[in-house]
This record gives sequence, C-alpha cells and structure tokens, in this order.
Amino acid sequence: MPASTGERLYVATSLADAVAALADRGPAGAPLAGATWIMRAPIRREELRSSYVGIGGIAELRSVEMTDDEIHIGACVTHADLIAALAGVEGCDGLVAAAGGAANPAVRQMATVGGNLCTSDFPASDLSPALLCLDASVELRTPSGQERVPLGRLLDIRRTLEPGTLVTGVVIARKPVQTGHSRLPLRKAGDYPVAIVSMAVALGSDGLIEDIKVAVGSVEASARRWPQLEAQLLGHPLDPAKAYELAKAGVGVFAGRESVEAPGWYRVQVLPTLVRRAAQAALAARQQR
Amino acid sequence: MPTNLVINGEDRISTRGSMTPLIDVLRDEFFLTGAKVACREGICGACTVHLDGRPVVSCLVPLATVEGRDVRTVESLAAAGEPSPLQQIMEEHDVVQCGMCFPGILMVLTSFFQERPHAERDDIKAALVGNICRCTGYERLVDAAAALARRS
Ligand SMILES: Cc1cc2nc3c(=O)[nH]c(=O)nc-3n(C[C@H](O)[C@H](O)[C@H](O)COP(=O)(O)OP(=O)(O)OC[C@H]3O[C@@H](n4cnc5c(N)ncnc54)[C@H](O)[C@@H]3O)c2cc1C
Ligand code: FES
Ligand code: FES
Repeated sequence: MPASTGERLYVATSLADAVAALADRGPAGAPLAGATWIMRAPIRREELRSSYVGIGGIAELRSVEMTDDEIHIGACVTHADLIAALAGVEGCDGLVAAAGGAANPAVRQMATVGGNLCTSDFPASDLSPALLCLDASVELRTPSGQERVPLGRLLDIRRTLEPGTLVTGVVIARKPVQTGHSRLPLRKAGDYPVAIVSMAVALGSDGLIEDIKVAVGSVEASARRWPQLEAQLLGHPLDPAKAYELAKAGVGVFAGRESVEAPGWYRVQVLPTLVRRAAQAALAARQQR
Repeated sequence: MPTNLVINGEDRISTRGSMTPLIDVLRDEFFLTGAKVACREGICGACTVHLDGRPVVSCLVPLATVEGRDVRTVESLAAAGEPSPLQQIMEEHDVVQCGMCFPGILMVLTSFFQERPHAERDDIKAALVGNICRCTGYERLVDAAAALARRS
C-alpha cells in the first residue's frame, strides 16, 4: 500500500510487500515487528515516526528452520517461539536461557528476534551477546538486494542502515559447543539486566578448550565480544574459578555506561561473577548430554 | 481505515487510529473495562489479554496489527455467568484487594494452567513475574493458584 493513503501503520502481508512499502516511505518509515519498543516511545518522551510498516505477521519471517549444518531463525520469531523451537537443541542452551530470561512472559510472546537486535538505543539486549558468541550472521534485505553480515557488524552499523533495510533472519552454523548465559537484573522481572555474559565453548576430548567465545551485554552501549579473555582461556580446561580470576584482572577493557538504574563501575564490577556463572552454565549444558 | 477484530467471540469494528494501543480500544471504544491500564510500558501486566489464545500486554499492541484476530478479555472468563474454576478459587481464598492487577493475573494464569495444569508453586511464581500487585497480595494469590493446581 502506498504511503499516500495516510495510515500511520500499514500491516504488510508478505516480505515483498513489506520491502516495497518501506521503499515507498523512505526515511520517514520504519519496520514495526513486536512493537514492544516502538509503543513505549511516549514513555521515553520520543516522537513516534510518521509511518510504520508492520512485519510481525509475515509468515516467511516467523519460522525456525534447522538442517544438519545451520539454524535459520526468521526475524519475526518471538522470544517465546524461539524457546519452543530450540529448547534441548545442542549448542542452544545459552540462547534459550537468553530468550527465557528477557522481559516477562507476555512480552516474550510479542518481542521478536529482529526487533531485539535492531533496537539501536537498547543496550541490554539478551539475544545480542547470546548470538554473538554463536558467531551468528544476519540476513539483510534492501530494495536493491540482499546480503549476509556478521551480527557484530550489524550492531556497529544499525544506526546508519539505508532506509528501508529489513533484517529478515539470523543464521547460526551448527557446531559442537556448550553455551551458557548469565544476566544480573536487580528485580525478578521487568527491569533490564545490569550486565550480561554469554559464553560458547568447544572442549576437546582431553577436556581442554579448543574454541571459546565470550560476549558481554548491557555494560556498554552495544554488546561485544571479549577477545582478551577468550585468548587467555583458550587451551586450558574450563574452570569457572579460574575464569573468574582472569575476568577480574581484565575487566578494565570495558567502560561501563552510566544510567539511573546502575552506575557504570557497578556494571563492570559484576562481570567476573557473571563470567563464572556463564562458565558453570556451559559446563552444566555439557554434562546434561 | 477501520479495523475488524473478534472480541470475546463477537465481531467488532474499531475506527480508532492504526497505532492506538489495543487497551484504549477495549476500554474507551467498547467499554470493556476489565483490563486495566497502569504503566503503559509492559511491566505491570494489568492490561493483559489473550491474542489468538496467548497472553499479551495490550498497552503495547497497536490496533492495526489485530486485524482479523481473536481477542479475549477478562470479561470472557465468566461468559455463561458462572465464574471459571480459577475465579472461584481466587474468591474462596479471598485474594483480591484493590483489584487493579487482578484481571491481568487471571488472564496470565488461565493460559498458564492450560499448558501446565499441575504446576508447582515455584512455576506459578515464575509465570507471574510480569504481574505487579501494588497491594502486594502475592501470598494468598499463589496459595490459591497452587490449590487449583492440586485440585486438577
Ligand atoms: C517490560 C519490558 C522488559 C524488557 N526486558 C528485556 C530484557 O531484559 N532483555 C531483552 O533483551 N529485551 C527486553 N525487552 C525487550 C526490548 O526492550 C525491546 O522492546 C524488544 O526487543 C523489541 O523487539 P520488538 O520486536 O518488539 O521490536 P519493535 O518495537 O517492533 O521495533 C524496535 C526497533 O527495531 C526496528 N526493527 C524491528 N524489526 C526489524 C527488522 N526485522 N529489521 C529492521 N529493523 C527492525 C524497528 O524499526 C524499531 O526501530 C523488554 C521489553 C519490555 C516491554
Ligand atoms: S499497562 Fe500494560 S503492562 Fe502495565
Ligand atoms: S490487589 Fe491491588 S494491585 Fe493487586
């Protein structure tokens, strides 16, 4: 539907329809998925945009597909649907814990994977660190074509995406990893976590770490990997106490963001404990099998 | 553009703007005042309704996204004039204080018990993390829900 009809929210019926409607609206328009961020604009004292294209109901964007090599998650898969699809799947414990710990049950029925990754003003995304340490890629669709970029790249460029760009899905390569996700909210639910640590580890038959990814969320404006800690852990057994000590010595690489909920120094100070808990969760994920 | 929706089994047409929060349509246009509006940011759960059978916070649902969909509010629970088993047990345990949080709690627990009829106390608490009771009546509430789980 052309933007000229004046409806502020046009609900697209297919991916092609959404791409065309977004192209038609140009910089004035934006996708609306679960709407849980956009609808809170008045609370944040922000203006709504003049035009949105609803994508949450598009069937092509709502499925989780698994092959032997890959897991493909549609951008409009909700947190609740993600949990249902990936519970018990090897390597996905951390991601399922991230989706299951975020927000509250009703919001998890609404908020989508794509919306969670694309909200550039939201530092406390749980899915971002969980997917970063799974080396996830993101599929982008623009009127001029489509491309796949690493999630870390999307987090860097999401503020300056060409108008009309849609994230259509997230792709994870299936690898024999154990994953853990650890977050520190100040209440049971409703508030955002002060800090988040996600971890994915591949252990060799000798019990030594062959590959490890650690990602930190909510401490800085965007989630990011912790390569220095990864390098120190590589080649050793996964010992949560040792990981805690190394994290404690190395947290200086993070500059915690200040906000009314928590001061920056506190976000950084809790990281070693979250590293230890994420390591414990990753070990427990391995032992279950 | 008008929006067609099915509310508590009845076809309805709303003429409100496409970004209007569903809670305002329910309360102000159709006078279904059971669902309450408090925080408008998805935290308190007072506005919870079922959308296609799943609990959602209706303060964050834009009207146009509900076109053709099934909305159930707390008013539907005692549709035949008879309170649902959940409502009855809440009354037996004298749970309600001011009642502001209560419609949302009933909607969350109704769908929760459909999936987990024999849930344990801790699971009931976890299901309710998105429902804030400013009168802090949680103890009797969880007692009542646990009693229903034991009965079924
Ligand atoms: C009370 C509450 C507590 C919460 N707690 C947490 C928490 O602890 N952890 C957590 O991770 N999340 C939490 N969230 C969710 C989070 O804050 C965002 O609201 C949510 O992730 C946004 O997803 P959405 O699908 O609703 O996005 P929308 O609100 O629809 O969109 C958000 C932004 O992303 C853009 N967008 C959406 N989809 C796409 C796409 N496919 N391609 C390109 N751009 C897109 C939109 O244009 C918009 O700019 C919480 C939410 C609430 C209401
Ligand atoms: S009014 Fe909707 S969650 Fe509080
Ligand atoms: S009974 Fe008053 S808010 Fe819960």
